[in-house]
Amino acid sequence: MWIERKVLAQEILAAAALDTRQLCEVLAALGFPVDGVATLEGTEALDVDITANRGDAMSHRGIARELAAKLKQPLAPIPTGTVSEGEALLPVRLEAEACPIYATAVLELGEGVTPEATQSFLRALEASPKRLPAVDASNELLLRYGHPTHAFDADAIRGAVTVRWAKAGETLVTLDGVIRNLTKLDLVIADEAGPIALAGVMGGDSTKVTEATRRVLLESAWFEPKVVRATARRHGLHTDASHRFGRGADPAMARVARDLLVARLQAWCQAKLIGAWTAGAVPAPAAPVNLDLPLLARVAGEAVPLEAAREALVRLGCAVSAAGDRLCIAPPTWRHDLAIAEDLAEEVLRLRGYEHIPSVLPPMEGPPEHLAPAYLLRQRVARRLAQLGFHQTVTYGFISPEADALFAAPDNPAAGRTLANPLGYEYSVLRASLLPSLKATAEQNLRQGSRQVQLFELAPTYRSTPAGPREHLTLAAVWGGVLGGEDYLSPARAVLEADLAGLARDLDIPGLPVIHRLADGLFGFEVELDALPRPQDRIIPVFRPFSRFPSVERDLSLLVDLSQSYAALHQAMTAALPAESLLELRCVDVFRHKSLPEGQQAWLLRMRFQAERTLVGDEVDGWVSAALAAAESLGAKLRA
Amino acid sequence: MDQLLPPEIVEASQTFPAALAACGDLDALLRLKGAFVGREASHATRLMELLKTAPKEQKRELGAAVNGLKQQWEEGLKARQAELEAAKRKLGALAAAWDPALPPPQPPRGALHPLNRLMDRLVDVFRPMGFHVEEGPEVETEAHNFDGLNIPEDHPAKASSDTFYLAAHPELLLRTHTSPVQVRTLLRVAPDLAARGGIRFLAPGRVYRKDEIDPTHSPMFHQVEGMLVGHGIGMQHLKGTLEYALRALFGPDTEIRLRPSYFPFVEPGCEVDVSCPLCGAKGCRVCKGSGWVEILGAGLIHPNVLAYAGIDPGEWSGWAFGMGVERMAMMLSQTPDLRLFFENDQRFLKAMGGLD
Repeated sequence: MWIERKVLAQEILAAAALDTRQLCEVLAALGFPVDGVATLEGTEALDVDITANRGDAMSHRGIARELAAKLKQPLAPIPTGTVSEGEALLPVRLEAEACPIYATAVLELGEGVTPEATQSFLRALEASPKRLPAVDASNELLLRYGHPTHAFDADAIRGAVTVRWAKAGETLVTLDGVIRNLTKLDLVIADEAGPIALAGVMGGDSTKVTEATRRVLLESAWFEPKVVRATARRHGLHTDASHRFGRGADPAMARVARDLLVARLQAWCQAKLIGAWTAGAVPAPAAPVNLDLPLLARVAGEAVPLEAAREALVRLGCAVSAAGDRLCIAPPTWRHDLAIAEDLAEEVLRLRGYEHIPSVLPPMEGPPEHLAPAYLLRQRVARRLAQLGFHQTVTYGFISPEADALFAAPDNPAAGRTLANPLGYEYSVLRASLLPSLKATAEQNLRQGSRQVQLFELAPTYRSTPAGPREHLTLAAVWGGVLGGEDYLSPARAVLEADLAGLARDLDIPGLPVIHRLADGLFGFEVELDALPRPQDRIIPVFRPFSRFPSVERDLSLLVDLSQSYAALHQAMTAALPAESLLELRCVDVFRHKSLPEGQQAWLLRMRFQAERTLVGDEVDGWVSAALAAAESLGAKLRA
Repeated sequence: MDQLLPPEIVEASQTFPAALAACGDLDALLRLKGAFVGREASHATRLMELLKTAPKEQKRELGAAVNGLKQQWEEGLKARQAELEAAKRKLGALAAAWDPALPPPQPPRGALHPLNRLMDRLVDVFRPMGFHVEEGPEVETEAHNFDGLNIPEDHPAKASSDTFYLAAHPELLLRTHTSPVQVRTLLRVAPDLAARGGIRFLAPGRVYRKDEIDPTHSPMFHQVEGMLVGHGIGMQHLKGTLEYALRALFGPDTEIRLRPSYFPFVEPGCEVDVSCPLCGAKGCRVCKGSGWVEILGAGLIHPNVLAYAGIDPGEWSGWAFGMGVERMAMMLSQTPDLRLFFENDQRFLKAMGGLD
């Protein structure tokens, strides 16, 4: 809220002595940081950030009250006139508990417009003056004292005024010209013909004050915050009045604001007071709150003397009595946020200043807990991938239905994962797979000129269930473009599916995940993190003896059909070899060339043997022959 | 004397030094050697035949001439051979030499995302104080996201203009902060809180709010929540912990400042500022000249939050904080646009991420 310095100084003289920086610091220390300073209408104004619990501070008076308490300086008195109440000129009936008090007055307006100073104040605070004294005075009072009031054209009101719940089917055209369909949950001001105002939110069009208005009926009431909030939200109608009533106005201000409004109209346009009266009464205050000194000391981090705490609370307007080490506190009528002991402890701390809070490390009361295995696994996987050259991405959890459909399993319908109110169609489905996002990101990187793109993401994917979307922490990696070719020792080649398979193996992913070809030369896979083996509890594994005898290595170059399955060949050859002596059998080269017979390729198979003795050549030759025979049984031939 | 020798040998002998110099490699030198001093059909063998057949009175003089020539040739050849061999060794050495200025093969180097790096660092900083990591789902219930946190039923954050809801499950939403992890964790540990000796944890994670995408807003972002529950916990413990943690993050000279503020789930509540880590609190663009940067919101856990989880607020108390990861990352890196963190350009990730 914008607070004009000149008007603030009228409420608290001491504010005039502070320079802007000091004022901003005091306000920030009180919990009201200043977001900006501007010169408006030739006067300096502060954009004060007021938290939602402090409706009482949403005015110049409210901010001045805070400063007065902090600076221990007096507030200027409120210049109420001498309005004496009399008989009700027309019946005002309060039929809902949500409106306990309704102060009113009827005045006959004379000649005159809003004074220039007030118009300038309103302009400075971005509230455009209407030059109608009744309207401008009401707006000025709201900004200055925080209490919303309203002026009706008294001659447009038919019969008695009632504050009641609206009836289903009733409508009201509000001041902004919009027809409001009312519900039984809307509190309204009504005359005998129907609603004339949405209580605490906005007046009605049919009773509004115009240039032609001769007599006004003033309203200065108090409405239940919850009710005003609900009505404002229901009608999407957030006004200065609804903000203040919605956050809790001061019921004791109802009569005062009425008197101030009367005095302004009398001064500005020679208005004649016909009568003033009040329906209802200020509601009984909430029960007092007890604050025990031990609790205060616990919150503050050190003992606070009873007298110091009492004095601080009194400065804030509380009525405080003390018994033993307990303070019994009745908060002032404008504070609706002081409901429990902790609230009051905060007030004491706030006035002392948070800078006085000591700094202490909390003592350990029990042993620290370990990091969860799933968390450690994720950290390990992320670090390994980064070491291997992959870049971790963070993409949105929601994507377009089309992108989602690319990799969603058939038993995972998007309907169960769709947002009711997405930011847009392209962000409407909680994704079943990370691959659509990574594919788009990888392609974007390749378009931007990356030779090689290596990305991974660790994020939840979602599966529709009757109870709602279930999250599964998922790892996806994509790899594409050109490998190597960037230095004199590494030849360039395209990234291939096999590279992804090698990556999956490096990460200990059990089995081979499906390697998706996402685009030309761009591949990816995805696996739920639960599928990965958990880090072992052992720091180092159990010792397994190994042979110290030399191992023997033999290569076989085989001509095989292009259609030959490697797994089948590997299995057949392994079966022919002595399991206890075979360390490894692996294909170390694949050769495909036009110099080979058509339809054939050459595989170089390497066998490594080792035993608990020195292996002799004849023995190994025999094994290799057996392996070759097994390969030949599948159609392989020894390459000459 | 020369008249005793055949004229072609005299001529060859005269051109020998030039021929020797013309030998560019050892092969050429070997051929020259063959022609002059080889065992067959060389100038030297011809001279030896000549000597054999020479009249007796010429033998002495001719012998001396022949020996002189042979010696001259052999010495010349030997010297040239040494020269050529030295040159070859030198080239070999050069060929084997390594120029350290040549760009070497680069081992692969990827990067963790800067936001994850920052969250990991926070965990590292809090670990020595006994904090572990708690996590919760991103799809949450209203109860965990709002009700359990003392957020009033009619709070504006619940509106569909602020919070994403699931179409098929109106009671489910995308969590708007990491605070529901507080609720879940407190509910879980409440029965054996005394045996555990309270609890202290961090909850890093992704959260969602219905904000349009622009340089300072994103519908998805990250928070790190911190919470501690124990006996006799007050604002001093919040201040002590944050002072330790923020000094570990930003340097030992970092100062922190608590300012009163309001969040429904804490009482008292505060905003926490750190002395600007970029300018050393001298005043710069990042701290807008104030020397302070707002870094997180915190406070003592509201008794209603403890009570909701079944923890007696008369016995237990604690503090909680919540920190915006993007905000801190942008501040530290002076990244001008929030969207860069979600674009995932490899150049950005490489530069901002690193390995840790």
